[in-house]
Amino acid sequence: MYDVAAAHAPALTAAVLTIAFCCLFVLVMRGTARRGQLLIAVDLVAAFDRVPPITKLAALLMLASGAIHLALVPGHAGITGVLFIIDGLGFIALGVAPFLVTWWRRPAIFWLLATILAYIVWVVAGWETPDQVGIACKLIELVALGLVLRLNRGTGGSWLRRAWRATAFPMVAVMMTFGIWVAGLAHPDALHAHAGALLQSVNAVATPEQRAAAGRLLADTRASLARYQDPAAAVAAGYKPGPASNADPLLHFQNSANAHAILDPYRPQALVYARTPTGLRLIGAMYQMPRVGQWGPDPGGPLTQWHQHEGICFSPFGIEFSFETPFWTCPVGSTSITTPPMLHVWIIDNGKNGPFAADLDKRVQRELTGRA
Amino acid sequence: MNPTSSTNNSLDIAAVLLVVQASFSLVAGLSSLPFAIVEPGFRVLSVVTIVIAIGMFRLARNLRRGRRWAWRWLIAVELLSLAITSLLGLLPIGALRGPVPLLVNLVIPLSVVFLLAAGSGGRPTQAGPTDPA
Repeated sequence: MYDVAAAHAPALTAAVLTIAFCCLFVLVMRGTARRGQLLIAVDLVAAFDRVPPITKLAALLMLASGAIHLALVPGHAGITGVLFIIDGLGFIALGVAPFLVTWWRRPAIFWLLATILAYIVWVVAGWETPDQVGIACKLIELVALGLVLRLNRGTGGSWLRRAWRATAFPMVAVMMTFGIWVAGLAHPDALHAHAGALLQSVNAVATPEQRAAAGRLLADTRASLARYQDPAAAVAAGYKPGPASNADPLLHFQNSANAHAILDPYRPQALVYARTPTGLRLIGAMYQMPRVGQWGPDPGGPLTQWHQHEGICFSPFGIEFSFETPFWTCPVGSTSITTPPMLHVWIIDNGKNGPFAADLDKRVQRELTGRA
Repeated sequence: MNPTSSTNNSLDIAAVLLVVQASFSLVAGLSSLPFAIVEPGFRVLSVVTIVIAIGMFRLARNLRRGRRWAWRWLIAVELLSLAITSLLGLLPIGALRGPVPLLVNLVIPLSVVFLLAAGSGGRPTQAGPTDPA
């Protein structure tokens, strides 16, 4: 669900280069100071050595965040670009400040909190789509915030004050994670739908040839599936029912013998049955490619768009799954998986969604299963 | 800088990273609760995840207080986490794709193990100074 946006990729390089540059700079200054060649190097090394490691790490993380923000400026026009410049320069100043002044902690806490809050506002408003670069940057800022708060920690005060000190940082982390997550699901970009699934890139409008090809795929799939109306026939042909879940009114029967068939209407990877009040009813097929990231042939162009589920927390115990958090964490006992691309072909009337939609139309699903 | 303050710094940094990890686990546990409404089996996973997150918060707190048992538990938990992540990374299921999963599931646990190892030297083995947090 969360990719690395192409325009954001240079920011990762900028962060790595900044960290490498800082380490190299310290080594060179230390070497110069040892030889006593440059007075300023001696002063810089002395200032660096006066600062505890926790402060050095916080400073390094703020410098990395500053580099990321500045590297993102070319891809962001308008107010966002201006804010990135201000934010980036602010972080660089705050990254240097611990070695020069003593009053840097409160401004750093304010700057880190304001940046994290601004990011959440931006993604909730739909002005920015959360991607891995943005989330990684927030992770860096979150750790920097934790380190600075740790430095700023007092020891006295009332129980309320102590409780606040203990819970404030975890609360920021939890709220930030939920904010990014909810915003990402609420405002998916053009290539994400169907609970965050990544959609295949296709042209905007289907050509007459693509319409005809999509029609042929639907007709061939319908003809092929006619023999599996009875689930027993599907089982006899090698299809095995997947785990039934109360959360899913559909049941997939999969045939591992067809794993390497490519969009073959006579060898679909899975059959989809609806769990109706009167029993299982065959409603479609699911074609699936052998490997993650391997998009299938797209005869119908935008009409037959494949999708790949990403970031599903899947439990090997056969229990229902949930979605991973933006920080790629799943409940204990489950793991994040990405499925190979898949294409559904619905052989029943799928309402306004159409025969190749990733989802079954909600009205159709309600009529079939009695459940939303 | 004396070795004791350097050790305390290592443990302080490790404690901050642990709180970050625990917060992410807490969100993962809370987020699977809606699924638990329709799928009873998931209630167990949700509750276990939340309990582990709370345990991580307590371990981080006790690490700062210099408790040796917290240090031992954390080493065990982080090494187990790293082993599982490494195994999952070898499987073709897309468990580690991109910088965020690498940072959260590999870099942070590795850093915590390194910091705990670095902080094992001058750390008190009995109850340390009181941390009101």
